[in-house]
Order: sequence, then C-alpha cells, then structure tokens
Amino acid sequence: MKWISARYVARIAPFILSVFLTGCFGQEDINNLAMVMAVGIDEGKRPGTVLVTAQIARPSDAVGQTGAPVGGTGKPIWTAAAEGRSIFEAMRNLDRFSSRRVYWGHNKIIVLSAAVARHGVNDAIDFFTRNHELRMRTWVMVTPKSASEIVASKTGLQVIPGDSVDRLFHYSAYTSEAPPVDMRTFQATFLNPTSQAVLPRVDIVQRGMPATHKEEFGTSPQVELSRAAYFIGNHMVGWMTIPETRGALWFLGHETSREMVLHCPDSSGKWTTLEMRTSHFVITPHLLNGKVSFVIHLRADFDLVEADCPSVSSNLVLTHALEMEARIKLREELLSAIHLSQRTGSDFLRLGERVEDRYPAEWRTLRDHWPQTLSRAEFLIHVKSSIRSPVLLAVPTRPGSVSKEVIK
Amino acid sequence: MAPELQEMLDSKTRVKLAHNTLMMEQILGESADIVRRDLQCGGTDGVPGVLYFVDGLVDERQLEEGILRPLVGLNDASFLRNVEADDQTVIDRLLIHSSISAVDTYQKAVESLLSGDAVLWLDQYASAFVISVRGGDKRSIEEPQTESILRGPRDGFTEHIRTNTALIRRRIKDPSLRIESIIIGERTRTDVNIAYIADLVKPGLVKEVYKRLQRIEIDAVLESGYIEELIEDAPLSPFPTLLGTERPDRVAAGLLEGRLAVLVDNTPFVLLMPTYFWEFFHASDDYYMRYIAGSFFRLIRYLALFISLTLSSLYVLLVSFHQEMIPTQLALTIAAGRESVPFPVLVEVLVMETAFELMREAGIRMPKPVGQAASIVGSLVIGQAAVQAGIVSPIMVIIIAISGISSFVIPNFSASFSIRLMRIPLIIASGTLGLLGFLIVLFMMSVHLLSLRSFGEPYLAPSVPFRPNDQKDSLFRFPWWSMKTRPQMAQSADRQGNNQRPQKPSHQSAGAEDGTS
Repeated sequence: MKWISARYVARIAPFILSVFLTGCFGQEDINNLAMVMAVGIDEGKRPGTVLVTAQIARPSDAVGQTGAPVGGTGKPIWTAAAEGRSIFEAMRNLDRFSSRRVYWGHNKIIVLSAAVARHGVNDAIDFFTRNHELRMRTWVMVTPKSASEIVASKTGLQVIPGDSVDRLFHYSAYTSEAPPVDMRTFQATFLNPTSQAVLPRVDIVQRGMPATHKEEFGTSPQVELSRAAYFIGNHMVGWMTIPETRGALWFLGHETSREMVLHCPDSSGKWTTLEMRTSHFVITPHLLNGKVSFVIHLRADFDLVEADCPSVSSNLVLTHALEMEARIKLREELLSAIHLSQRTGSDFLRLGERVEDRYPAEWRTLRDHWPQTLSRAEFLIHVKSSIRSPVLLAVPTRPGSVSKEVIK
Repeated sequence: MAPELQEMLDSKTRVKLAHNTLMMEQILGESADIVRRDLQCGGTDGVPGVLYFVDGLVDERQLEEGILRPLVGLNDASFLRNVEADDQTVIDRLLIHSSISAVDTYQKAVESLLSGDAVLWLDQYASAFVISVRGGDKRSIEEPQTESILRGPRDGFTEHIRTNTALIRRRIKDPSLRIESIIIGERTRTDVNIAYIADLVKPGLVKEVYKRLQRIEIDAVLESGYIEELIEDAPLSPFPTLLGTERPDRVAAGLLEGRLAVLVDNTPFVLLMPTYFWEFFHASDDYYMRYIAGSFFRLIRYLALFISLTLSSLYVLLVSFHQEMIPTQLALTIAAGRESVPFPVLVEVLVMETAFELMREAGIRMPKPVGQAASIVGSLVIGQAAVQAGIVSPIMVIIIAISGISSFVIPNFSASFSIRLMRIPLIIASGTLGLLGFLIVLFMMSVHLLSLRSFGEPYLAPSVPFRPNDQKDSLFRFPWWSMKTRPQMAQSADRQGNNQRPQKPSHQSAGAEDGTS
C-alpha cells in the first residue's frame, strides 16, 4: 500500500469530496425559478411608494405537451404585484407570496405608467441598469393606462403576453408608428446631456368583436403599440402624434418598410397604397457664424401595392402623380417632428449628437445653450421618392381595361 | 524459474542420445501434447534418433512428408557414421527442408520445440536439429470487428504474427521495410516484432523503442495491451499515447509516414507509435474516399468529440447556474419538462450517464441474442418509461442520447472510452461551480494534453506546436495530389512528384482526338 501517499490523497480527495457537495454556490435549478416575462411599474397607493407588477410564466402550461404532467390550470401566466418604498423592496415583497425564486433574467419588457414617467424615471433607470440579473436589451415603454393592466393583459397569438409584446417590437418596422427602445438606448440618451429620451407608447384597445365567434377573435382587450412619449431630462413631457413619431423615426435611425396611403390622382376620392422598400436618410449639420443649420437628404423607394383608381389608364401616370404626393407627405412628417422638437426644446431627435460628431470643438460652447440654438436652427429638406415597381400588374385594374386581342 | 531447471537448460548438449533424451524428459516432464517418436535412420543398422514435436502446433503433413519419410526410408546411412560427418552433413544430405538449424543448448531446443518446431536428436551427434514445421490451426483473415469502414480493404490482422507481418509486407514491397524480432515474457516467450521502414523512420526512434522493450521484465505477455502499458510515455494519463489498430492498411500507412509498429503474437491489435491525439479521430477511409467526403467526415468527428465531451456538462451548468443564457422559449420548455423531476440536474445527469454506461456494457458482455433483448428493455426504460414516470426530464434523455451517439462516432474505441471518462469530472465541476468549474476542468485537461508526448512527439501536434506543413492532413484531409510531402515526423520528405493534380487534356491531344484543330 505504498502508493497511498499523502500527496496522492491530497490530489484525489477534492474530486471525491466534490460529489458530496450540497451547498453549491449560486446553484438553482431552472424549475425552481419563477421566470418573469414582463414587469410594470406604477405609483403605489401610499405617496412615495411604487407598485411593481410581475408577469411570471407557468412553464408547464406555457409549453403544454412535453411528456411531463401539465399544470392543468390552463393559465400560462401568473401575475403578482407588490408595493414598496423602492423598486427593489417591492420586488422583494413579491417573494413573500411567490413559491419560487423570482428570476428576472428572462424579462422582456418594462412598462412604466405615464404617472411614473412624468414624475421621473431616474430611479427606474438606475435600478434596471444596476441590477445584474436584468438584461440591457429589455424593451422599455410608457402607457397612459396603469402598467399593471398592460402586464396582466392577454393577447391572441402568443401564449405569454410578455412574449407577444416583445414580438410586437420585432415587427414594429411594418407599421413604423413607434420607436423600439431598449434599456441600453434609453439609458444612453438619458445620460447624454443634450439628447432627450423617447419611449414607445403602449395602450390597451377594445377591439370591435362580433357577438358570435368571440373565441376566434380573442375575448380580451389587446395591447397596441403606437406613437411615442418624449422626455426632457428626468421627466416625460408629452405624447407625439403618429406623423410626429414617424418623422422622428428617421432621425432615430430605425429601418422601416411602412405603408403609405395616398389619394388617387384622378380626384375620385379613392385611395392608393404604397409600400416602402428601401430608404436612405442622411442628415448633415452645418455651422456658420454660430448659427446651426441641417441639410437632410431623404430618398425612399416604393412599390405600388394597391390602387383603386378606375379612371387612371396607365401605371406611368399613376406613379408620377404618387411620387410627388409621397414626397410632400414625407416632408410634412419630418417637419412635424422637427417643429415639435423646436417648440418644446426637447432634443429627442438627437440632433445635438450630430453637431458634436462634426464640430467637436465648437460643440463645447454650443452645448450650454443648445435648446435655444436648436429652436433657431434652420432645416433644408430634400426628399426624393420613386415608385420602383407596380409589382405584378402591368396595367391598373379597372373594368374593361384589356382589349380582346390581348386576351387572345 | 527454478535454478536447477535453469541450470539444465543452460547446459551443453552431449553426443550420447540417451543422455539428451533423458535431459529433455526431465526438463519437459510428462505432457500429453509433447510427442516423442523413436526412429532408426537407414534400416536396422542405421543411426538411432528421437524426434520431439508438440501435437497441434506442427503441420502434420509437413512432418510426415518432410521428415519422417526421408529419415525412416533411408537406404544407406553409412555416411552418417563417417568420422568426418558433422552437423552440416546432416543438414545438407539427410534432411531436405527449407528451414533447419543445429542448436547446442537445451534452452534453444526446448524453446523451438514449444514454439512449434520439431526437434531431432541423433546418436553420436552433439547438436539438436531444429526443423521448422510450424502449423496447426489458426483463424483465417477476417474483417476487423472494431474498425469498420465503408471503402477500403476488408482484411484484418489475426492472432498469428507471421500472417500479420505478411499482411504488411504484401502492402509494402520495399526492401527497406524491416521486421525485427524480440522475445518478451519469461514464461510465455511471446514473439514481438518491430516493423519500420529504415530510411523513413527518424533516427533514434528504433533505438528508443528497443530500449523500452528490452526494459520489460514480465512473466507473460498475452496481448499487446501489456506492452502498451509497459512502454507508454504517460502511464497515469487517461489518454492513450499509442494507437492500437486491427487494420493492416492503417499500419502500412503509419509506416510510410515514418512511424514504427509493434506486433505481438496471439493478438490482432498492433501498436503504432508515435501517435498524435488527433489520429484517434481519423479513420482509414478518410484517405480512400474522395477528399471532400473525407474532410467532411473528419469535421463531423471533431464535432462529435466536442459534443460527447461537453454537451451534458454544458446542459448542467446552463440549467442550474446560467439560466439567462438559454433562449426564453427553450428555458420554459426545459423548466416545464423538469417540473416533476425530484432530483437536481447534477444527480439527474449522473443517473442517466450511469444508466447509459450500464446499457453499453451490457450490450458488449451479453451473448448476442440476449444482448439485443437487454438493449431493447434498457432503451425503453431509459427513454419512455423514465420520462413518463417523472424521474428524468425529456430534454435530459435527448442530451444523453446525443452525447452517447457522439461518443460512438469516435472511431478508436480506446479514445472514445477516455473521452467518455473525462465527461464525469466535467459534469461534477459544472454542477457544483457552474461555468467556472467547467472551464477549470477543461483548462486542466488542456494543460495535461499539452504536457503529453508520444515517443518524443508532442501529443497535440500538428496543432500545438503548429506545423504549417502538416495541416494538410489534420482538420481537413487535403487531396492526395496536394500532399506533396510526408509529415514532419518522417525522415525523408519527398512523397510524390510535381504537378500530380490531374490537368485538362492539353489542346493538342484533345484536338487530335476530335479532329477540330
């Protein structure tokens, strides 16, 4: 037994003993976690408190057929709410009645109520960026209703509501009515001394439902993502309209493949629709004698996707007229966003950063009175639009538009 | 060995036949299979002699035709009584056989006898005549059981060492191919052969192998595994540093790359040295299939190495420590599957790994018909029933199955075993310390691998140290026409001529054929 030396034992013992380790540091099995999918922050009942609402997924019902016994409650989520003097205290209070450890690593959305946003978002940003479990890629939004209502609401397609709002953001480019803002961007604009934050707005809408087939249409109110809120410093100032939001989206640099509904050029009062395919937006600041001006070049390419213009005979006529109309509309949207920014003195278009990038030395003197400078700034807007393709139809649809020879 | 026996073996043979036979019988004792045949060379007044052979080890037809018939049927034996007659006379005139020699110690005579030769003692001759009539039953050449391939030769080594050397010699008709013999084992006296190509093997390697083989003092060598454990560089490491193979084509390829092979009698497993770690993941049809397929299969095998080593421990660390790294949908699915599982993930994995190993071992040890039943019952229990009973989660079954299948992908079974063995410390470290523990063990393993050497070659070459020239046959298998040089391990670099890549037919020859130019 010569080979069982002290050195040998010292080498082997840790491996054998590790089998009996029970207090594994930080170890927690995934089925003992209450995974939060969405969190809402409202003002508490007592002044100075916050109400935190967490939407927690119930895995066995959220997934369904896996071979494991299903929960059988038929409800894939469980919503818990708790109050506290700080956000963290409120979250800890959730643990009072959650049978599993509340786990924030999979949180997808943070909903702030308008009241909280107007009162000040400093605390929320501090907490959510300081916490190690919460991710920086979580979507942040504001609602005019109470945040707990948004968090607890159900949606039609997705089983987990937090997931469905998350997907709303992924496909937000199709409507281009709200900017997708995650915690990282929100924090970045918040920390910037001149730029102001923008948050998307979510609301609950009652959809018109026929009395029959209620189930198929979804019985509950739906979460809608549209428009945005703009901030000055710590506080939310107001809501943007849809054209203002769309105008602002260009400046915030989000891809878009939106539709645009325009009048028919034939004064019939009917509508045509364009779908944006590609676009190019360039903004260049200029500084002359302390006066700031911006030159904007916007080029947008469209497809003609729908035209109900019975008296227009050819696509050529149609496109020429529509290109002009689209140009005017895009310009109006840009201007409405710029005017809102200039009027309120909130640089949510992040124009100051553009000036800083181009004129870093001059910026040091400009930044101290940037809102005033911005309100006097001039904008030169060049918009180009072209309709690239009428898609599959060579001639507009109207009764009797194809002669017999063509049919033959 | 008893000293008096050794003394008898070492003593010189004498001229008296009676003394010699007495000595033989004292050394060998009473054995049922040792046959003594008394005979009279050249009729009644001829020379008396005694022939010894071992029944079953000799080729009986050769014995009768080549020895007994000429000896007994000899008419005139007077030349044997001639005073000038010596051993050479007997060899030249009496015995007409392809392999015959005279020995003058009992040691040599007994050894030859027990190896399957016939030993003839003649009266008045001090030497014993050893006539090679080795034969007996042996297994025919069959396809190797452990290394299956799609394309390539179907012959495998057998238990007979001469068959094995012949299989190599048939592939390499190079005069520089040397096959040298050494006997190891005090009692088994096992034939061990060393094969190498003299002008390809690096100088010093043969000497080193000889040195290590001659160091061995052991009573028995029953399989090449004995030799492997006695000469390998890292006896305590879980990783093999010698490659054991059943395939003659693989050995031939190794010899042509400047390696050295050790063949051991009575086993079809031949050892190749030096060996790189990556070679355990190469199969010989990598070189026979077209290079694109060969390279793809190799990539799949490296993937299998990664999966079988890490998949189950990655699962453990993700599920019990780093839940935020799992995509949300998957996290919910895993959580739902684990809802009714009573054990922590670490225990669950260890239980399933054990169950899998039990099933694998049962599949090997059980007689074939029973083995099938065992594996069906086992897979049903592990797969369906365990999940439905809520003992393990369905994802866990998938993880174990994938990592199990991956370990079977590794072509060399001894490497496959060591990879599977290394899984356990990885799983335990992942289940107790998470990603940190996983990385610690993986790091220790890498450092250990880096420290290994196989007969002077770094174990992880040609990756570490990086050898640019050898990259053509490591991660990918480059086409044969591009592998112009031998690996750095070989002494001589030239392997093929220039421009071996097939070219389009030149304009002239093509034109001559279709007549357009």
